[in-house]
Amino acid sequence: MLDDTKKIFIQESEELLEQMENALLEMEQVPDDAEHLNSVFRAIHTIKGAAGIFGFDAIVAFTHPVESVMDNVRNGIRLVDPDLVALLLKCKDHTANLVESISDGQEDISEALLEAGQTLLDELNPEQKSGALDVVKNKRENIEVSDRKNASDDNWVISLDFKSDALRNGLDPLSFINYLKRMGEIVEIITFTHDFPCWEDMEPESCYLSFRIALLSSASKEEIKSVFEFAMDDCELRIIPPRSELEKYLALLEELTGEELNKLGELLIQVGALTEQELSNALQVQSSVLSDDAATQEVKPLGEILVEQHVVSKGVVDKAVEKQESIREKIAQETQYIRVDADRLGQLINLVGELVISNAAVKLLVEKHDLADVQEVVNGVEGLVENIRDHALQLRMVQIGDTFSRFRRVVRDVSKDLNKDVELVITGGEAELDKTVVEKINDPLTHLVRNSLDHGFETPEERVAQGKPKKGVLRLNALHDSGHIVIQIADDGAGLDTKKIRKKAEEKGLIYAGQELSHREILRLIFEPGLTTKDTASNISGRGVGMDVVKRNIDALRGSIEVDSERGKGTLVTIHLPLTLAIIEGFMVGVEKERFVIPLSMVEECVEMDTNEWHLDKNSHYVNLRGQVMPYIKLSEFFGVNYQHGRRGRESLVVVRVGRAKAGIVVDRLFGELQTVIKPLGKVFQGLKGVSGATVLGSGDIALILDVQGLIGLASAKASDVKTLESV
Amino acid sequence: MSIVTRELNGVHFFEINDELTIYTAAMMKQELQDLLSKQDELEISLEKVSDIDSAGVQILILLHQQAEKKGKALRFIKHNRQVIDVLETLNLEAFFGDPIVLPAKEFEYA
Amino acid sequence: MAKTILVVDDSASIRQVVGIALKGAGYDVIQACDGKDALGKMSGQKINLIISDVNMPNMDGISFLKEVKQHPKYKFTPVIMLTTEAGQGKMAEGRAAGAKAWVVKPFQPPQMLDAVAKLVLP
Repeated sequence: MLDDTKKIFIQESEELLEQMENALLEMEQVPDDAEHLNSVFRAIHTIKGAAGIFGFDAIVAFTHPVESVMDNVRNGIRLVDPDLVALLLKCKDHTANLVESISDGQEDISEALLEAGQTLLDELNPEQKSGALDVVKNKRENIEVSDRKNASDDNWVISLDFKSDALRNGLDPLSFINYLKRMGEIVEIITFTHDFPCWEDMEPESCYLSFRIALLSSASKEEIKSVFEFAMDDCELRIIPPRSELEKYLALLEELTGEELNKLGELLIQVGALTEQELSNALQVQSSVLSDDAATQEVKPLGEILVEQHVVSKGVVDKAVEKQESIREKIAQETQYIRVDADRLGQLINLVGELVISNAAVKLLVEKHDLADVQEVVNGVEGLVENIRDHALQLRMVQIGDTFSRFRRVVRDVSKDLNKDVELVITGGEAELDKTVVEKINDPLTHLVRNSLDHGFETPEERVAQGKPKKGVLRLNALHDSGHIVIQIADDGAGLDTKKIRKKAEEKGLIYAGQELSHREILRLIFEPGLTTKDTASNISGRGVGMDVVKRNIDALRGSIEVDSERGKGTLVTIHLPLTLAIIEGFMVGVEKERFVIPLSMVEECVEMDTNEWHLDKNSHYVNLRGQVMPYIKLSEFFGVNYQHGRRGRESLVVVRVGRAKAGIVVDRLFGELQTVIKPLGKVFQGLKGVSGATVLGSGDIALILDVQGLIGLASAKASDVKTLESV
Repeated sequence: MSIVTRELNGVHFFEINDELTIYTAAMMKQELQDLLSKQDELEISLEKVSDIDSAGVQILILLHQQAEKKGKALRFIKHNRQVIDVLETLNLEAFFGDPIVLPAKEFEYA
Repeated sequence: MAKTILVVDDSASIRQVVGIALKGAGYDVIQACDGKDALGKMSGQKINLIISDVNMPNMDGISFLKEVKQHPKYKFTPVIMLTTEAGQGKMAEGRAAGAKAWVVKPFQPPQMLDAVAKLVLP
């Protein structure tokens, strides 16, 4: 049970029990004094009612029979004797024990206590004890009582104490309570009469009324509060939400994604646990304490005031504070960051790259001169340098989650504009990648997300008609996969219409009519310039400029993009990206004396020289590797390498793959894997085809890093040129 | 006087013949106090209560408590529809413990 | 017995709309076009609720409210003041004079009936 609910109940019960005891003690002296009789009856009656409102079933079950006995006594059916008074005193004590066990925080009343209660009840109704049937009946009655009360577990509890001027101000508590019936069902109401003044002191126009109300209602706290809007100045109102409502608050608090540090009150208002009015009242209390005794008194936390005023339950406040703390931590984390100019970071990484290379040079020399004692030191330095390099690169790593989160707004706004119902599900937001990559991925991602919302998802009506859930789901996922980050954009929308794509591609002359294409090949056509399948262009995803631009952006990041789609089921776009643009896991090859680095992730396999596994078809520019045909490019020819010692006869083949496109690269030598820092090419070389960068080797030599994607493109172009010629 | 004496089948009782509201509360308190001080046993009919509000309910509650204290037998009788509604709304029937009898006419329709 | 409500507003259309709504809900309605007119029409008869505009000729709503709160027979009568968004400044003055309930114009009849139901029993 809830703390504040308990407190109200316990406090009131204790007062009533004290009255009951006093009255019972008086009854010992004067047994049939009507006033005391009634006082006892009222006390037990009110406790029973309050226990019912607050959902303390065990107390209801015990006090109900006691109340019945008192009712009989009051009506003269049962006579008062000292034994009965003694028994009633025990009943009073037992009730106090029950109340106490609640205040101890026990959810369930102990078996012993229940038994003691039953014994007392049996003594109270000796005639019922004899018949087993009656006991059952008695029990059943109790069960019925508790069944009813169980349902009331989910009631709003409204505590309403009117101030003495309420009636004079033209307010009638009865009218408000009557109006409250419109909000739901008043399950129980107690009108407090035990602290009324005596007749002589009573001012007829003053208000002495207090109520405790259990309301079964689906209305919000604000709505219930609005019932008493005119009485705000003239009553103390406390609204305690039902358990289910509390769970709702807690769930909402859990879900809140705070970007900025909200004040506690604002958080609580956001989830509906607190009304504006309640907040301003509590703040007033807070500031009045402050001004009363600013020097000595510490400011009470708002949460504490709210709990004290029984406005919000402790559980909810705790949860909100916890949430606030986590947001604060997040912000603190953010403020711990030092903003560094990206260029300076770039310089650092460059220098670290140089250091790696210098270290490699030192190592070479040490090996060359066979300096065993220096070797050890150099190895140590190498380890440190690698550490520094990793950390330097780590500096530029950011989580992709923040980039993903930005799409919440895009999805919300765009789907609203399009009258679509789409939920964004983000997973893998903790995956990290280089900041420069993140920056460059934002535009393509935006385009893909908008595309999916615009073309992918059907309207809710269409979805329902197709037996799909009304709400579409758009998933953004990120994961690490062998030195790459994989980003997936998946929707459960209509999927791509391959027939339409084919038709468009034919119209545009991208393929010729009747050309045999696999499902994937057709899908890949959407990345061709000028192809859009939506009949009408919209301002969401535009006209035709789209997927080809996206692809170009991804290519520029040394990444790849693939699309998979099934008509009616949805579309999945998968993007592979390198974690960083600054460093590369490469595979070094050689042609004559030149060294080239192929990004390792794109190397599918290497086939040693002089095997029978592969054949070059020089006419058609295809290489046949174990029956698999693919375009190839000969690096020596491509870069026009001059052979000083005459042409070597033996060559090797490196099979590279980007996405699903494969090609062979024919080289002279295979050197193996290396990790190296990419150094951008100077402006003069930026237009260079087939090369994306350069790196300095430990020996001081320069190695060019191959632009595999570009090479594959060139190789296929060459091959298909031949093919086209042949087919003419 | 808002409270009049009535007699039915030789039994005397008092009848509140006015509204029982904030407007009449002060006057009612005075008249009821006078009544209570003179009688040891009294029945008060609520049949002719033309209107009742929270102030009126308070008066009835306090009068009831005062009668108990003074050891006097007080019973409210002949509650009219509006009075019953109010007592029901505030769950006060058990407090007064008076048997509430629905007027026969109303009972038929109920 | 039906409750009696006094509607005071210089706008005949508002009086009419409120009047129709209240009569439809089973109340008796007395209409007056300003504070002075209202005081004259009350003339000692039982009024359960007053609905009054603030800005009116002859006697405005605040002065009328003060008169009502002085009157032995009406000092406990609940009053709903009609105000406009722009006239919020008058609220402080109204509150000081004892107004507890406010309805902001323009309002829909159900809003008015809700406000009335919170103040008087049917």
